Amino acid sequence: MHFLSRTQAIFAFGAVVMVLVVLELVRRRRLSEEYALLWVLSSVAMAALGFSTPLLQAITRSLGILYESSTAFAFGVTFGIVMLLYLSIRLSRLGREHHALVRELALLGHEVERLRAHPPDSRGNG
Amino acid sequence: MTAARVLVVIPAHDEAESLPHTLDEVRERAPGVTVLVVDDGSGDRTADVARAASIPVVRHAFNLGVGGALQTGFRFAIAGGYDVAVQLDADGQHDPADLAAVVAPVAAGSLDVAIGSRYLRPTGYHAPLTRRLGMRLFSALTRLMIGQPIADTTSGFRAYGRRVMEVCQHDLPQDFPDAPLLIALSRRGFRIGEVPVHMRERRAGRSFYTFSRSLYYPYKNLLASLMAMLQRP
Repeated sequence: MHFLSRTQAIFAFGAVVMVLVVLELVRRRRLSEEYALLWVLSSVAMAALGFSTPLLQAITRSLGILYESSTAFAFGVTFGIVMLLYLSIRLSRLGREHHALVRELALLGHEVERLRAHPPDSRGNG
Repeated sequence: MTAARVLVVIPAHDEAESLPHTLDEVRERAPGVTVLVVDDGSGDRTADVARAASIPVVRHAFNLGVGGALQTGFRFAIAGGYDVAVQLDADGQHDPADLAAVVAPVAAGSLDVAIGSRYLRPTGYHAPLTRRLGMRLFSALTRLMIGQPIADTTSGFRAYGRRVMEVCQHDLPQDFPDAPLLIALSRRGFRIGEVPVHMRERRAGRSFYTFSRSLYYPYKNLLASLMAMLQRP
């Protein structure tokens, strides 16, 4: 039977706590299910690596990494990079949508001003 | 053939000081043209100044950049049934006496975009060395990518035809609609040409090209130009 090293234990329990925190944030409507999915999947992967020493060792050997803890950190860093890229893509899209809304609002504001200044009735065609 | 309906779009960000003179000049030197001021999130009285001159104003809630202001102008022009939209700077750099020359090839249908160029003939315009180098770089890049020499890729004095407006109302670089826009439009088959104009120093206010922007501009335009070349027309 394999016993967890201290690093593995911290890693595994940290991942479990992370899943619980994410689920609680979703329950409170402070995090959408879409973003929660990425966090939950990564946390589950981290927990699996933390709790399963053979799995961690097998991945470490196959990737040619010297220490198991480095494998766990590599997974964490990879997830961080992927998440940042994903958020950058989302932000770019939100920026475009945001700009489109500002332009639309500006044109509608002008239309409201114009109608207030020249109501259809005053032109005799309303 | 009926005369083309022309809308002059003036993007303005904190231009309350120079805008009255620009609007007076447009009225004096290009009588009869319709003007729209797009107040791009100004913190000063830009919108009030335009309203006081009885010019329609469309106000952005915050600053989007020249491209964003131009897009709003295009949307306004399309809704109003205009055939040509002319971009004119609020700072007094562009002489409205050149409006007719810039509009003419687009109104006649021989070009889709006419650029008012300060480099086709000697006009006495002197840009700082770094800006001149940047202009040369993007001029060379544009020539390489579209196979057509454009001497003044950064000119903000341009006339756009209806079809260009229809395309650009949905897709236009928000901050610097310069070389990348010209490359993208050329790849879509739009005809671009230059018309010699006279350009002056800005009358008041701050230049759009602050120090941080002058560092960001080459990077952004270079990347956007390459992407415009790689995108499907």
